[in-house]
Amino acid sequence: MRLDPRRWPITFKVPVAVAILMLVAGAVLSERVLDRLGDIQQRHLRELAQGYLDGLSSAVGPSVLRDDVWEVYDAIARAQVQYKGLRPSEAVVTDPRGAVIAASDPRSHAVGSAFVPTESRPFAYESGSATARAHRELSYPGRSIGHLYATFDTSHLAAERRDVIATLLVTNGILLAFFVAAGWLLVARMMRPVRVLTEHLGASSDGVAVPIADWEVQRSRGEFRRMFRAYNDLSTSIAERDELRKRLAEEERLGSLGRLASSIAHEINNPLGGLFNALSTLRSHGHLPAAREGAICLLERGLAGIRDVVRTTLAVHRPREGARNLMPDDFDDLLVLVAAEARRKSVRVKVTARLAAEVAIQSGPIRQALLNILLNAIAAAPAVSVVELAVVGMPEAVTFEVRDRGEGLPVDAAAMLTDPARIPTAGAGLGLWTTRGLVAEIGGVLETESLPGGGTLVRMVVPLARDEALADVA
Amino acid sequence: MVAPIVSRRAILMGTLTLLPCVAEGAPSAAAPIRVGLTPVFLSSDLELTGLLAAYLEKATARPVELVTRRTYQEVTAMLVAGQLDAAWICGFPFVAHRSELQLVATPVWRGQPLYRAYVIVDRDRKAGGIAALRGDIHAFSDPDSNSGFLCTRAALAELGERSETFFSRSFFTYGHRNVIEAVSSGLAASGSVDGYVYDVVSELEPKFVSRTRVLRTSEWLGFPPVAAPASPPDAGRLNALKAALLGMDGDADGRAVLALLKLDRFASEPLGLYETIAAKAAMVAAAG
Repeated sequence: MRLDPRRWPITFKVPVAVAILMLVAGAVLSERVLDRLGDIQQRHLRELAQGYLDGLSSAVGPSVLRDDVWEVYDAIARAQVQYKGLRPSEAVVTDPRGAVIAASDPRSHAVGSAFVPTESRPFAYESGSATARAHRELSYPGRSIGHLYATFDTSHLAAERRDVIATLLVTNGILLAFFVAAGWLLVARMMRPVRVLTEHLGASSDGVAVPIADWEVQRSRGEFRRMFRAYNDLSTSIAERDELRKRLAEEERLGSLGRLASSIAHEINNPLGGLFNALSTLRSHGHLPAAREGAICLLERGLAGIRDVVRTTLAVHRPREGARNLMPDDFDDLLVLVAAEARRKSVRVKVTARLAAEVAIQSGPIRQALLNILLNAIAAAPAVSVVELAVVGMPEAVTFEVRDRGEGLPVDAAAMLTDPARIPTAGAGLGLWTTRGLVAEIGGVLETESLPGGGTLVRMVVPLARDEALADVA
Repeated sequence: MVAPIVSRRAILMGTLTLLPCVAEGAPSAAAPIRVGLTPVFLSSDLELTGLLAAYLEKATARPVELVTRRTYQEVTAMLVAGQLDAAWICGFPFVAHRSELQLVATPVWRGQPLYRAYVIVDRDRKAGGIAALRGDIHAFSDPDSNSGFLCTRAALAELGERSETFFSRSFFTYGHRNVIEAVSSGLAASGSVDGYVYDVVSELEPKFVSRTRVLRTSEWLGFPPVAAPASPPDAGRLNALKAALLGMDGDADGRAVLALLKLDRFASEPLGLYETIAAKAAMVAAAG
């Protein structure tokens, strides 16, 4: 968020962009102002310096010709006073060979000493520097009789320049702060509806698309109002669709309950004929010990079968609150539940690998999911084939595999089982969809594979609940 | 440009002094008394020249024209040529032109008609005598000045030196104040200056001389005199001027002028007063 500017919020990005633009504009303007100021100062100074040189050179000319040290000195001293506004800090008059005739400060440039000029241009001044220098060749009349070098104190111009720079900096700073603040406020205000929408969309990722409040919609204008309304319409339709899906799931649950109930009824009905036979045998031949014993045994076996069916049904459909871990016995129950269907289709259900001990996985959802997958496999399996169930425990997850030798799972059905985005259409694929929901609830995933030579492998991988010791895994 | 003003003033003065002049039988529109002034003065002080002219006009009852030139030489030349009735010149040109000039009056300063010549150097300079100034850049006042040129040359001649070779370089400032300024500023390492001017300036403007000190003083010499041509252009004007000068200390305006000049009075002194200067001139001439 902090380092990558692309990820900064727009309320931050726009003021930063404004600041950068202002800085660039301020820098360009300041540069122009300073450039212009430098030009003006230089021109002004040059004109004044020319006046000074004109005056002084005509004053010292005849004296230079006569080598009159005092008169040259006196003229320089008078010019220093006369041109006070120009702030001449030093003036040196030399003969053509560079020997000093007189200088404003004779102690630093003694009469007759050699003078080495630091600047030989007629005029030299750099903006912002503390001194300017000028040079004039003295000619009288028409021949060179010496040189006049002048230095001017320009620290006041440098100070003026510093003042201008300070003013520019302060002004630019104030403008910058103002525009950045204004930019932030403006963007924050403009972006408010977007923020509202983003917050609602963010909330909807939790599964509930909350509609935007009416007062918020009323307050917004133009495209944002349209956007809010469109969002609210979307949120309503999502809610309706969720409602529909719940209803479908409930219907499917009831449907499968009906199927299960009929299979249980069938399972109970099967032995009923034998049981009634045994009863009539008891009634008519009860006095015969052998017949009585045989009928009682038959009754016992038949009732035991019914008891098993009822118990298993109770176990499978036990309410969720009593959630417990998956036990090896759960698979025996499953076999009992699917036994009737298998028998009807002449399919044998074979367990190729078993769980060795209890594992930290909720048993309820697994049993229901496996029951659905097994019933599907049995339905798909051709007569006199084998449906295999394998349970393989691993350190962090348990893999359940169901193989059948049928014609293979249709693509749509496989997608329903594995693709979280798929939604069941009315009456089709609800069982698979419910299975996927059950598995997803406990963090598991489903995969399907087509087996070579026909048939389908459905693999369900369910992670172990946390904090369980590895020892619990088979 | 000066002439018309002077003549207007002459007419004006003539008019103002008409009655006493008529009473004394003097000419009413007399020619002005022309008095030359050399830069021996402290400065070209307008107040001083104004007061001096006013006093002299009152005392002589004649218009007075004060003539100043840049150099002693110009004033001396005008005097010798009879273009001036009198001039306040230096002792050196007076003795140089002794045969062509006569002594009119000699100022009395601190009770004596005498003054001295100074050699001055920078305040912080360690030099103990004139011999230590060898190789200096030296500021002279004027080639016709006793104190500002002749005395130093004479002192060097006593050492067997000539100023042209003794000093690395010398120049004239044509004013005693300028010599002080040249040494103060460092333009010259040493300078020859009128002791009267130096003392009075140090009394009136101590800061002006504060960067200098006196290295050598000469013996007492005749104070620069007021001289006139040996054969004056107009004896009447000269006599009136002489009387005005000698009577200056007896008049309030005259005393005001003397006070500005820091002088006691003007006196008639014997010619012998300038013998020492004449001797120095002779020695310097002999030394070449």
